[in-house]
Amino acid sequence: MIAAASAVSAITDQFGLQWGHLIAQIIIFAIVVFILRRYAFGPILAMLEARRKRIADGEAKLEKIARDLAAAEQNAKAIVTKADDEAGRLIKEAGESANILAEKKRQEAVNEATGIIAKAREAAQLEQEQLVTQLKREFGRMVVDATSRVTGKVLNNDDQDRINRETAAQVSL
Amino acid sequence: MSHVSESFFILPPLLAEGVSPYAISLFGEKSTLSFFTNSFLLAGIVLGVLLWVSRKATSNMQLIPHGWQNGFEGVVEFLYGKVEDIIGPKVAKRAFPLLASVFMFVLVSNWFGLIPGVGTIGWGQGSGNLTLSSVHAPLFRPATADLNMTLGIALSFMIVWLILTISEVGVIGFLKHMFAPKGKFKGIMMLMMGVIFAFVGLIEVVSIAFRPMSLSLRLYGNIYAGETLLHTMMSILHGAHPVINFIGSILIPLPFYFMELLVGLLQAVVFTLLCSVYILLSTAHDEEHDDHH
Repeated sequence: MIAAASAVSAITDQFGLQWGHLIAQIIIFAIVVFILRRYAFGPILAMLEARRKRIADGEAKLEKIARDLAAAEQNAKAIVTKADDEAGRLIKEAGESANILAEKKRQEAVNEATGIIAKAREAAQLEQEQLVTQLKREFGRMVVDATSRVTGKVLNNDDQDRINRETAAQVSL
Repeated sequence: MSHVSESFFILPPLLAEGVSPYAISLFGEKSTLSFFTNSFLLAGIVLGVLLWVSRKATSNMQLIPHGWQNGFEGVVEFLYGKVEDIIGPKVAKRAFPLLASVFMFVLVSNWFGLIPGVGTIGWGQGSGNLTLSSVHAPLFRPATADLNMTLGIALSFMIVWLILTISEVGVIGFLKHMFAPKGKFKGIMMLMMGVIFAFVGLIEVVSIAFRPMSLSLRLYGNIYAGETLLHTMMSILHGAHPVINFIGSILIPLPFYFMELLVGLLQAVVFTLLCSVYILLSTAHDEEHDDHH
């Protein structure tokens, strides 16, 4: 113990260790720590923390935006697919309705054309009959006229009717 | 001033005496201001420089840093990252101000010792106009070349270390960490291990008790040795022709200045690193325990 004490004493003497100096140096170092803590590390660490938080918030927002974008893209894709399906269905339905309508119109046109043809045929028949009648009448008149000229006799109404009937019977048109 | 009777001028590169191993009181050892030594004066200047730089860097802080703020933030962020890597994020928040202060103060003090005039301006034997043949009492002495300062830093750290450790693991946890057997033993083995670990604990106590001395002597020794080395290199051609002596006293120490720059940085790193490791060793169990939860 004595040796140790003398060694310590030798060290303190040789290197100038003194309580007064030691305490003064501790105080000045404590002031350094206080000043750096108050004016340097405190504000800077707070600023670094604020920046770190801001970056973290930014990254979180970025992730959220990315997620929202992916969801929006997915949603848009689903809407486009649905719209495609709907459009396909509508086109198909429109095609079918157009076919039905076209068929209906064609049928109507056919029917109308058939009607027109039938009416035209009836009219032609009627006209033909009228012409035949008129022709027969004309033949009858011509025969009556010819007979009266040949015979030199004025034919009465009965004769004319009889000649007309016979002529009409013999003329086949 | 106790040295006013002597000449106070700048020491030319003609040094014959070595560097004193201790700081010298500027007001005399018997004065009430005897604590005001040449190393205390330089420590005060270092304090002023650190205050000026920190105020300049943080007086108008903005989210997007620039200039001084940018540089200082870079240093602080780098240091915080390293401290956090060593002692973990939980303890780093509490220990960082002290560890970073130790690093910055030691580094700036070490490098201040290399500024021309430190150790060569002071009181001594005059040898001509504005010149001294040797300086007995330099006006400035590197703060870290004074054992009072290095021991003061080490003791301050040890006090904070003890408070941090107790607050992290508790008194019982601290004692268990020191003396309790590590591992699970039963019967006679438990008894034997108890005795062995109690002995190991005592060794640990002695080791902890010596930490302030080892920390302070390492730093003091290196910086004081550097001062002595530069001083010796400057005066190595003492006795030669004055012109040769003058040129030699400038050129010969030049490479050693660069080495001392490196030593100054290295010693600041070593001191801070050891302090961090001491904190890690005493709080590691608590951190691991927390991690398990």
